[in-house]
Amino acid sequence: MTLFSLARKNIKGNFNNYFVYFVTLVFSMVIYYTFTTLQYSEKIQESIELSDTMSFMFGVSSIILILFVAIFILYSNSFFTRKRKKEVGLYAILGLRKKTIAKMLFYENLIMGIIAIVIGIILGTLLSKLFAMILIKLMGSIAEVDFGISILAITQTVIVFMVIILFTSVQGYRLIYRFTLIELFYDEKKGEQIPKVSLITAVIGVIFLVVSYWLILKPFPDEFTTEYLIKNYGIAFVALVIGTHLFFRSVTVYLLRLSQKNKSRYYRGTRIIETSRLLFRIRGNARTFTVIALLSAATICFLGATYSGYYSNEKRAKEVVPFSYSHLSKGPEFDSQVESIIKADHRHPIKAQLDIPVIQVKGILSFQLDYDINPVKLISESTFNKVANALNKDETVSLSGNQAAVIQPRFTEYTKSVFKGENITIQLPQGSSELPFVHMVESNVLPFDYPDFFLVVSNEMFAEIAKKEAPLTYKVYEVENEVTAQATSKKVNKLVGNDFQVSSSFYTEYKQGKEGNAITLFIFGFLGLVFLAATGSIIYFKQLTEANEAKGHYEILRKIGVNKKDIRKSIKRQSLFVFGLPLTIGILHSCVALYFTSNFISNLIGINLIFPILMAIVFFVIIYAVYYVLTVNTYNRIVNK
Amino acid sequence: MKTIVEAKQIKKVYGAKGNVFSALEDIDLTVMEGEFVGIMGPSGAGKSTLLNILATIDEPTAGDIVVDGINLTKMNEEQLSAFRRDKLGFLFQDYNLLDTLTVKENIILPLALAKLNVEELERRADEVADKFGIRDILNKYPYQISGGQKQRTAASRAIISKPNLILADEPTGALDSKSATDLLESLKDLNEQDKATILMVTHDAYAASYCNRVLFIKDGKIFTELVKGKRSRKEFFNKVLDVLSALGGGANDVI
Repeated sequence: MTLFSLARKNIKGNFNNYFVYFVTLVFSMVIYYTFTTLQYSEKIQESIELSDTMSFMFGVSSIILILFVAIFILYSNSFFTRKRKKEVGLYAILGLRKKTIAKMLFYENLIMGIIAIVIGIILGTLLSKLFAMILIKLMGSIAEVDFGISILAITQTVIVFMVIILFTSVQGYRLIYRFTLIELFYDEKKGEQIPKVSLITAVIGVIFLVVSYWLILKPFPDEFTTEYLIKNYGIAFVALVIGTHLFFRSVTVYLLRLSQKNKSRYYRGTRIIETSRLLFRIRGNARTFTVIALLSAATICFLGATYSGYYSNEKRAKEVVPFSYSHLSKGPEFDSQVESIIKADHRHPIKAQLDIPVIQVKGILSFQLDYDINPVKLISESTFNKVANALNKDETVSLSGNQAAVIQPRFTEYTKSVFKGENITIQLPQGSSELPFVHMVESNVLPFDYPDFFLVVSNEMFAEIAKKEAPLTYKVYEVENEVTAQATSKKVNKLVGNDFQVSSSFYTEYKQGKEGNAITLFIFGFLGLVFLAATGSIIYFKQLTEANEAKGHYEILRKIGVNKKDIRKSIKRQSLFVFGLPLTIGILHSCVALYFTSNFISNLIGINLIFPILMAIVFFVIIYAVYYVLTVNTYNRIVNK
Repeated sequence: MKTIVEAKQIKKVYGAKGNVFSALEDIDLTVMEGEFVGIMGPSGAGKSTLLNILATIDEPTAGDIVVDGINLTKMNEEQLSAFRRDKLGFLFQDYNLLDTLTVKENIILPLALAKLNVEELERRADEVADKFGIRDILNKYPYQISGGQKQRTAASRAIISKPNLILADEPTGALDSKSATDLLESLKDLNEQDKATILMVTHDAYAASYCNRVLFIKDGKIFTELVKGKRSRKEFFNKVLDVLSALGGGANDVI
């Protein structure tokens, strides 16, 4: 019997033992392969070349992914080896030479790795197509992402995994040299040591976290280079990883130790069992906690970014085109033609229909403003209030005499204080008149058209000016469910033509924005889902293996007289800690990271992203809770039959 | 004197149709309060099955068991758990200590589970620790102490809740002779001074000689019974050896 065939027989014989490890390998491979396929698809290559942020996001994501895959495989490999130490010891006792055993372990791992690569790529090809289809369906979008078989993706996956597998194979080869025979035999009996509380590591951990947060949150420099990105955020990322790990290693120990101090609580019911178990497992758990916290943070970030993009597109479109349809009145015949088209669409009934008279005048500000204001567009106070009412906004103005309110020009960030105490002189045929600014409001009235400088004046004043300068009348319509008004919008657009710089119907603007964002959203969404799956499966696998190890533990408890209900409760509580702690830290991390990205996005489009980020967190917590329930049930089934 | 265990016609059959193996056949057993009863027999005779059934860990195929006036066959899972916690104390060959708990925490576990208050719990822990001479290892972990110390810890845990019945399954099986003797002496003291009722399965004649009465089981049936009476331990030991040689089978693995 050759060594190679012995190794092959070993795998066949112990398939159950190998199974979890093998599944881990294939799973990591599928995720990584799908990611690289995505990366090498044509559309995405284009967007990577075009945008620095995009290539940065992709770079960071692929590093995180490789890191995750490597840790995941190494972790399950070490668990797998631990299980087999005794078997290896037995070979040595039976008289196999060390070198022979080492070679055998090396081959075993290699065979498994190669099989996993083949299966991983086949499954990956199938699943990535499915994945893409689901995602495109979910986003209701138009992103044409080609998920063909990519040679580049296959090559990259094979290289990355060959490196990892060779590394684990060498670890296997060295196993027999690293330990003495007696250590191989008595490994399982050696208890894990209880960790000591170390204040120093706790403090160092917190310092790392603070530094990393500071680097992430500090304002952007004037010049935004790739080098700066890599240096600043690279360091921040490394500090975050180290800090998180140290935090879990020492702070959790400290917390658990503290809870042991309160004897009357600690010595009551099953709490004594859970606390001590967690304390013992902390060293193994610290690494998992770190990975989970970071993955949760990444997941929330990606989901947050995706949802923000989605959310902000609608907001942005609504800001740019406030009404479903707007057009300049061109005589009763034309106007009624437009109206009849809109009225004919029964699925989108009209909620509000308004006439907006606008007078264009020349004006001079009493101060310097780097915005071209002419022609200034005047609307009356009552028009503004009607518009606000029609769009469900609670902004109203009431003005008297000469007073004027400015509507914040879109895509600018002028604040109230810019206009406070200043005035504008407008030139009218009957002479000029000076209007003091008393308000700044934010509700827009008509689709964007540069220069976007609207003034609201009192009704009397507007009537006065209108006598000399005839107003233009715009007709606007707000309909139900405007995001789906595709057909009508098309007809209206065709009839109306270009009254504004942007489209005259909301739907068109909304749709265009969505298409422009599609690729970005797709990538964020994809990464979000990948990390979500990864986070969940890590905890699930981890708890599963732990449950198998803890079988004896719970059997003793049953014999002592703990009933099934109490054991279940105990498992629940223990899992809550295991799930809750990294989740809390993960959410904290993601808030920091999202604060950074939302600043980034808000600056560009001027929309507050707290709501979409909150939604992403809530969504993640719900999915995470599902994993929690699943884990508790499986754990319970294993130890509490 | 009160009857602690009253078992009638216990049967235990393993396997399905066509391939049945009966481990216990119509065993009757009565243990009075304050007795120290040994159960002996060759490997595969059904000793451990009997003990597991009395311990409510296993269910009999037929028969009735009453422990301290409570009928075991009529209880559900939850009631059985409570029963084990309150009425029984266990001692196993492989100690069954939780290695994540200190010696002290292991000992008080049954009381903590019963939610006793802390002062009472600490007082009793000290009391039993003194009885078994393990006071100075209370804060150590099981992986830091020897086999004999582990078994004394397990014994402390078994008696801390003042159970009506202590069940011991080969408690000296993994111990060296010195540790075994220490443990047996402690059990004897417990039986004589605290009037504890003990039922011990063993295949070691030396361990059996510490009992007041020894039951011999062969092929799932009671073979004979030996009462110590006024005999010295040494004489009783020889008597036990005699029965074992008559029993045959696994007798040669007893000495």
